[in-house]
Parts: sequence; structure tokens; C-alpha cells
Amino acid sequence: MKFAEVKVDLEELKKFKEQNAMERLDFIDFWVNYIKTHSDKEWSKQQNLIIDSQIN
Amino acid sequence: MKYDAEKREVICKKELNNLDRFVLDFVDILKDYVIVSGYVSILFGRSRATEDVDLLIPKMDRNEFGGLWKDLIAKGFECVNTSDMEEAFDFLGEHAIRFFRKTPVPNIEFKLIKTDLDKYSYENKIKVVLNEKFIFVSPLEMQIAYKLFLAADGTDEELRPDKDIEDARHLYKVFEDKLNKEELLAFVKKLNVGKRLRLLK
Repeated sequence: MKFAEVKVDLEELKKFKEQNAMERLDFIDFWVNYIKTHSDKEWSKQQNLIIDSQIN
Repeated sequence: MKYDAEKREVICKKELNNLDRFVLDFVDILKDYVIVSGYVSILFGRSRATEDVDLLIPKMDRNEFGGLWKDLIAKGFECVNTSDMEEAFDFLGEHAIRFFRKTPVPNIEFKLIKTDLDKYSYENKIKVVLNEKFIFVSPLEMQIAYKLFLAADGTDEELRPDKDIEDARHLYKVFEDKLNKEELLAFVKKLNVGKRLRLLK
């Protein structure tokens, strides 16, 4: 497909964007629950995978 | 994590990551400071990294700054803005200056306390105990309200994947039972972000 042929449905994208935002907020709730139900040592090991992979 | 709101102290037995160690090495050199904004959420478990850590310090004179500068350089920190202490001090009167070690990211955004919100953060800071070390961070209630304020503008009905909203929600949910709701609502009102409160729940 050439770029000139690409059709964009802005309404559909807007719905996708809102759905994505909702899912991200849901994940925060899931993650906070993980933090509250696991020891500091356990949740921080998970968090450190993200942080230490980005920061030396 | 255990938050004692009366003592204004959080005990956290997390395993430190590279960002935590970077911050601890920096604040070990300081006497008075408070950390605000994104790193506060990250310290309490938010699953994201950041390129900078916002740190507020009380006004200091040129001599005090000179001593601090010497200590920071001795510990391997460099200033992004200039390698000249005098110039850095002059910059600090105007805007934030940044310090890094080895690589530009992460860095410390180093700012003087200027606004009432800055002053409140500093005077009401919370001590976060990390094994034998500790870090001072801004009060959670103000932090949550301020994060709601920082979020990008948009219609109130529109939910956006905004890191500031997510940081606010994370802090709110982690400390929900211990927060001073009256204080939170007072800051929400002052910052005119009442319509965003629903994004916390």
C-alpha cells in the first residue's frame, strides 16, 4: 500500500485512544494491588526490571 | 510499605534500583532539600522510569553553593548548564540547573524554592526510609493534586493516557487509606482540578 492510499478514521482512532487510556488506568489499579499484596522486595524486583533496563 | 502519617514517615524495604541509587548518592551530599514530582511516584512503585528528578532546595549564598558544588564534583557529578561554579550559581537564581553523573540521563533538576507550593512541600516533607538511608519527598496530598494539575489540557470527559494522571492515580491508590482527604481536597480546589478527581478512583 502506498501512503496516499491510507485512509484514517479519526472517530475510530479516538475510541481506540480512550480505550487505551482506560486500560492503562486499569493496569495501574492492578499494579497497585500487586504492590499491596506482595512484599516490598518482591514488587521492587519487578519494577527494577523496567528501570534498570533504561538507566545504567 | 508503611506510611505513618503522624510521623510523616514511610518505611519501604524495596530493593534499590539504579535510579534510587543515583538519587541517594546525590542527596547524601545535601543537607536540606525536598524531591517533588515524577520520582515520588516511582519511588513508591510506579512502573516507569524517568529522565530527570526534580529537587528543590532553600535559597543559599554563593559560599554555600561553592561548597556544595565542590562536593558534587568530587562525587563525580557534572552540571549540564556549565562547568563554572560562579556561572552555575547565577543561573540558579534564574532557572533550574541540572546535574548528571557519567551519562546525561538520568539527571537532577536542581531548583530553588520559590513558590508557596514549593515552600509547603519543603516544610511538610515526608521522610522515606530505605533500609539505612532516607530520602525526603513532598507531601502526598499536594503531590497528587499537583500531578492532576500538570496533566495536559483537554476536555474533562476525555480520558487520556497521560503520565501525570497515572502518577497521581498510582499515589492515590497506594496511600488511599492514609491520605488526609481534607488536605487533598484543599489542594485540588486551589489548583482548580476538581473535575479530574474522578480519574483517581
